Amino acid sequence: MEMFLMGLALSLLGVAVSAIAFGAAVRGEPGSHRERARTRPTVVLPVPQFFADGDAAPARPRVPVEVLLLQLERHVRLEQAAAESFLLSPTVESLHTRTSSPLVH
Amino acid sequence: MTLHRPEILEGLRAEDAAAVLALASRTTLASGATLFDLGSNADALYVVERGRISLTLPMEIGGRRQDVLVEERMPGQMLGWSALVPPHRFTLKAVAPLESELLVFPRSALLEYFESRPDVGYQVTRNVSAVIGQRLQVLQAMWLREVRRVVELRYA
Repeated sequence: MEMFLMGLALSLLGVAVSAIAFGAAVRGEPGSHRERARTRPTVVLPVPQFFADGDAAPARPRVPVEVLLLQLERHVRLEQAAAESFLLSPTVESLHTRTSSPLVH
Repeated sequence: MTLHRPEILEGLRAEDAAAVLALASRTTLASGATLFDLGSNADALYVVERGRISLTLPMEIGGRRQDVLVEERMPGQMLGWSALVPPHRFTLKAVAPLESELLVFPRSALLEYFESRPDVGYQVTRNVSAVIGQRLQVLQAMWLREVRRVVELRYA
């Protein structure tokens, strides 16, 4: 009888230790997932859409900064000339005359 | 001697224009040199005698800060009227894209002279007002043209 009770107690102890170890292992898993998710670099993928986004700018060829600055200078000069011409004869038409600026075509 | 009569001296008698010119000193800027920076103290008015001055504002382009041309000043034209308008801070950066020569009118010298000759001060102030007004109108027109483009791009 004593042997049976001792065996039973040891069995219960073993089951309890196993349950605690299992519980700790199961609790630890989501945390490690979160940890991994935090350290992993994220890539934002575009949400697939059937219709194109109207606000999205169309893909344009990359322009070197120096070229862009020259285009901006030309644009400003042309716009200033157009504005000064408007002041000489202020009409709706002269206000909105088109220029040959590469930035607006 | 200036080749172009400075716009701020319009309407002055020759001797009065000479007296105002005598208040100025000359400075020469090498190509690429900065005359004044955005935000710096404006204590002098300038007139371009030779060359050209570019007025720029900073803009972020390609991840770098670039100076973008806003206006240009040619021989005979003045710049730096912030020297006469509080809080006397330049709101643009001025750079010489090529070797340029300028007349420098210190604010203190101008104001002192205008106190002794109010008639000259009145005429110069009228000229400065005319220049500022004309440039405001040009910028208004440029701004409206850009607004129209934005509307066309957005709602066309």
